[in-house]
Amino acid sequence: MNAFSTRRARAVVVALAAGSLALTGCTSGSSTNNDKAQTDKDAAAQAKAVPLGTAKDSTGPAPEVKGARKGGTIRVYQRDSYNHLDPAQMYVSDQRDLAKLIFRGLTTYKQDDDGKTTLVGDLATDSGTTTDKGKTWKYTLKDNIKFADGKPITSADMRHSIERMYAKFITDGPMYVQQWLSGEGTTYRKALPDGPYKGKHLPDSVLETPNDKTIIFHFKQPQPQLPYALAMAGHSVVPDSKKDTKDKYDVDPVCSGPYMIADFKSGKSMKLKRNPYWDPKTDSARHQYVDGFNITFNHQASDSTKRLISDQGEAKNAVSFTNSVEPTLTRQALDDKSASKRLVQGYQPYVWQMNMNMDRIKDKKIRDAITYALPNGQIVRINGGSYGGEIAGGLLAPTVAGYKKGYDPYGKLKHPNGEPEKAKKLLKEAGKVGMKLVYAYSNTEIRQKEAVAIETALNEAGFDVQKKEVDAASWYQQMGKVDNGFDIYMTGWGQDWADASTVIPPSYDGSTIQDGSSNYSHIRDQHVTDEVKRISQITDPAKAADEWQKLHFYIVEKVNPAAPVFYTKMLQLYGSNIGGARYNTDINYLDPTTLYLKK
Amino acid sequence: MLPFLFRRTLGALVILFLLTTFTFFVFFAAGDPAQMSCGKNCTADNIALIHQNLGLDKPITTQYWDFLVGIFTGRNFSVGHCPAPCFGYSFATKQQVWATLLDRLPTTASLAIGGAVVFLTVGLATGLLAAWKRGTFVDKTFTSVSMVLSSAQIYILGPIVMGIFVYSGLLESPRYVDFTSGPAAWGAGLLIPWLVMATIFTAQYTRMSRSTMVEQLQEEHVRTAKAKGMSGRYVFLRYAWRGSLIPIVTILGMDLGSLFGGAMITEYTFQLAGLGRLAITSVTTLDLPMILGVLIFSSALILLFNIIVDATYAFIDPRVRLS
Repeated sequence: MNAFSTRRARAVVVALAAGSLALTGCTSGSSTNNDKAQTDKDAAAQAKAVPLGTAKDSTGPAPEVKGARKGGTIRVYQRDSYNHLDPAQMYVSDQRDLAKLIFRGLTTYKQDDDGKTTLVGDLATDSGTTTDKGKTWKYTLKDNIKFADGKPITSADMRHSIERMYAKFITDGPMYVQQWLSGEGTTYRKALPDGPYKGKHLPDSVLETPNDKTIIFHFKQPQPQLPYALAMAGHSVVPDSKKDTKDKYDVDPVCSGPYMIADFKSGKSMKLKRNPYWDPKTDSARHQYVDGFNITFNHQASDSTKRLISDQGEAKNAVSFTNSVEPTLTRQALDDKSASKRLVQGYQPYVWQMNMNMDRIKDKKIRDAITYALPNGQIVRINGGSYGGEIAGGLLAPTVAGYKKGYDPYGKLKHPNGEPEKAKKLLKEAGKVGMKLVYAYSNTEIRQKEAVAIETALNEAGFDVQKKEVDAASWYQQMGKVDNGFDIYMTGWGQDWADASTVIPPSYDGSTIQDGSSNYSHIRDQHVTDEVKRISQITDPAKAADEWQKLHFYIVEKVNPAAPVFYTKMLQLYGSNIGGARYNTDINYLDPTTLYLKK
Repeated sequence: MLPFLFRRTLGALVILFLLTTFTFFVFFAAGDPAQMSCGKNCTADNIALIHQNLGLDKPITTQYWDFLVGIFTGRNFSVGHCPAPCFGYSFATKQQVWATLLDRLPTTASLAIGGAVVFLTVGLATGLLAAWKRGTFVDKTFTSVSMVLSSAQIYILGPIVMGIFVYSGLLESPRYVDFTSGPAAWGAGLLIPWLVMATIFTAQYTRMSRSTMVEQLQEEHVRTAKAKGMSGRYVFLRYAWRGSLIPIVTILGMDLGSLFGGAMITEYTFQLAGLGRLAITSVTTLDLPMILGVLIFSSALILLFNIIVDATYAFIDPRVRLS
């Protein structure tokens, strides 16, 4: 709910550059087929709002995974090393995946065998209680919850975990809770400029810990989304002790989940071992079946896919947390008798869109012409075909609550390769045939391939495309500049939880425009800004979801700041000796918490 | 000998100093590294803190002086003390640069030494045999095969070998296991990279040792030795071969220096985390202290091997004087 965030957007880079994208619904276990009907059903399941669980839902232990046994070490092939180990700095997908295993927070997501997800209390006894529609939220901590060093977790630790996010050295984690408590943008930092490290704390009127077990949040405005925000990895618990070494904590954190870090060599390897102080009776969402995980980095998607398809030696006991099946090997994985039984698949929360810089392209007819001309189908094929993505009709992903399947005002599903004649007609009406379009794209293999298809299609529609290749490492920084000098450029965005409030305000609210903002198309529409303010105050999630969708339709149809391109999907492989593999609809990857070795 | 080594070491240090200076000013004066290490919730205060923590709030010349002094005396950073030789902390990983370099060196050294043993043994043997059997079927076969192999590239050959041997389950996936925790596992994990690397390097050594041997066999001192009635084999190995070693040692020194500095493509192809891989990652993440560390470390290794090669000349060829 702020101007941030190239971070979620960067998470897309993590996924895509790994060659990651692939198909369909959130089926559990060894779902393997490419049945589109199943895709639709699963998309619908993922688009449902996640209900808030009760104290009973939050009570451990988690239901046993059928056939699970204890013991053994799972090999993990990962492409990238972990940049952050301080939970308050964790945001992108691979870090969220690791956090599931080693950290705990007040709330978390619990998923059953049918893929139904519930938000439950994690360290807290339930998902939170409020008596005033979200202005005040109370959490009570469970008994017998401990850090990996044996120290009991108290409300002082939870308070500390929130307050340290105000400190200057925390620059990468989520900001929702701090902003709701203390002010929008980055003004919240003024409430506690040094965090809790110089003896100052937020007043009890903001954050209250009346005893060791209770923590109470007091907001100026109702914040019905708090339980979801607290489930983010960034809000995991950090001890209020000397072991919180401020910026040094990023290399040596104290774990609280079922596993702890035994050894970490950045860029090379990480070993996880059991956390002896994790008590399964306190955790309704995680298991601790294997003895540990042996993770090595630098495995490109092609390498991890080939190893897992071949299923030889140690690969039998292997997974990749976030590498997908490499797009060019998708067919091989599906046709292989053994590998096809070892796949998990699901929607990811990302939507790729072609931003049209509204500071430079002011005429909607031109923006519509670009939208009609884009070859979405070709772009999807380049990204792995139907297993890598799905043509997008709108700007909200199938994983957002209230998603309307079939919404396609620009007819991209009917005309997947674009409508050059229709686009040309609009361009003629705008008197801009032959208009120069400065098109920026990043220098990754996939984006380069897309650029050729996009340039051809737009030129055919009467544009004169000027391609500009930009370094992938600084892509989002460069696109985030208000005066970036480009007309069109593709970016990806995903929700922080299944609610449009984490998509529309940061991406389309004109009041957020500044360097670094994720309003990449620079849409400044008063109706949108007013509606964002209004809908943010709606406390009924179902009603809010409807209102967000209406605003979404307005943005797509009446303003059209960005052409929808495709929704992303994930397809992952695992070794034949791995049990309990399923797609996790919270982290949108293979669920690391249910895995076991069959023998 | 000692004056020679002293002179060469001094020269190497001057080169290292110039290289370090150039790299430091190019990278650190080009932009603000704090912007790159600051996350999405970044404000001017956060930037100021990073500047302070990294010492970037000081004039660039002071930063450079601190950097140089730190190499010899160590430095204190906000994230902890960095003992000498201190090359600073990585922006990306917050690990000490020197500790990371030392951690990656065994992988790279194992790759280089193992590979060199294979390509040197096979390359010299086939080269000598081809020279011995000059003009025969053996010579022509070795020469033509080496021509083909020397034009191959690791990034082509590597995936093919992986497909045939690893993904089929015949051989173990490449990985680095510390030598001390099991020589067999160490060798097994690096066998494929060694063989692929050796295939390409061997061809070069075959061709070179053959051609230098052929040249040597036409030298006057070899003819004189033969005229004295020495046996062909003795002349071949004692006189001609020794003379042919100088260019081979030169090339080997350069190759080893480069390989120790980081066999980027080999390490990338086989997912090995050595210095080459570290260099690639540092560049792609704009991790300036690590880039600087890898560059200085690799350059030092190349210079070291050059000195070793020069010193080795004296043992091989008494005509070379080092004084």
